[in-house]
Amino acid sequence: GPEELALLERLLGLPGGNKYGAQGERKVPVLQTNNGPGLTGFMTIAAHLVKQAKKDQLLGSTAEEKAVVQQWLEYRVTRVDGGSSKEDTTTILKDLNTHLEDKVYLAGNIFTLADILMYYGLHHVMVDLTVQEKEKYLNVSRWFNHIQHYPGVRQHLSNVIFIKNRLYTNVH
Amino acid sequence: MGFGDLKSAAGLRVLNDFLADRSYIEGYVPSQADIAVFEAIDAPPPAELFHALRWYNHIKSYEKEKASLPGVKKALGKYGPADVEDTTGAATDSKDDDDIDLFGSDDEEESEEAKKLREERLAQYESKKSKKPAVVAKSSILLDVKPWDDETDMAKLEECVRSIQADGLVWGSSKLVPVGYGIKKLQIQCVVEDDKVGTDMLEERITAFEDYVQSMDVAAFNKI
Repeated sequence: GPEELALLERLLGLPGGNKYGAQGERKVPVLQTNNGPGLTGFMTIAAHLVKQAKKDQLLGSTAEEKAVVQQWLEYRVTRVDGGSSKEDTTTILKDLNTHLEDKVYLAGNIFTLADILMYYGLHHVMVDLTVQEKEKYLNVSRWFNHIQHYPGVRQHLSNVIFIKNRLYTNVH
Repeated sequence: MGFGDLKSAAGLRVLNDFLADRSYIEGYVPSQADIAVFEAIDAPPPAELFHALRWYNHIKSYEKEKASLPGVKKALGKYGPADVEDTTGAATDSKDDDDIDLFGSDDEEESEEAKKLREERLAQYESKKSKKPAVVAKSSILLDVKPWDDETDMAKLEECVRSIQADGLVWGSSKLVPVGYGIKKLQIQCVVEDDKVGTDMLEERITAFEDYVQSMDVAAFNKI
């Protein structure tokens, strides 16, 4: 919602002052713009903010990277925000864990908006994981720990602890 | 520290394990530490060492910027898990001063580094020669950690306990054991090296988590 967009604005170094509204039952965020009806939709606004901050590389540089970023933004809205059962969460963690096996960031070798918004979207999930679950989804844990240390990302969100001593090492 | 012999499969396995929960050799950004280790490896790690391969491909993508990455390249023995030594062959340094110089180094600036390298090499030579690991006295301890009441978050309590790190301490499996009135105690195993970790120290550090831990007892203590 708007709080997350505020976090994103700060991370991007934007001066703030954007005005947000909410539309409809599902409280879809709307950004009031100077000329026109306003931008609707979380991901649309997020991408717009990135361009406002002139940090287009966060949307990917190559065509393939851009596509992957869009894929994860869509995933965030449809699967992470949309689903909320324990099974949904397990599926998401499994998907992510597989995807991150050979990548440092969601889009491969570069840090993008996909990493930022998946981090914010999953923070509440990661906070509640047990030690065993964090080890089970080892790639997710590695990626999450990396992103939360990226300058400007975490802000006031709590630091999720990942223990270095790996105990249940038979899961690979 | 070190990864064993990075030119061998065993060394790559150590690297792989090390990188399972890390994106970089040191810290959270690519640095000269990654370049140092990258340059010690001859070829991309095999597919089954997928953490090492992920890291390798990622660092390779920084090839053009490698000179500008932060930090200072150090000897391989400065990186990696604390309980492994570096035994990678001679190709780590392009300087010629690394040979074991029996008469010592005359160069003041280099003497620290060269001395450390020499000592490391001597230590490796000794250990290879003796081929026997030192016998370390260890004990297996079962600890009972009791919370304040039945509302205490036992998952967090366990995390706090497992977050206690010390040289010579390895945490093992754990379970929750009901003790009545809905209260559960955490029973957790650990293996300690007797001369490095004692139950007093463990008790001090565990009971330091005052919000969660009411007390700690030793449920069982066995010499290994």
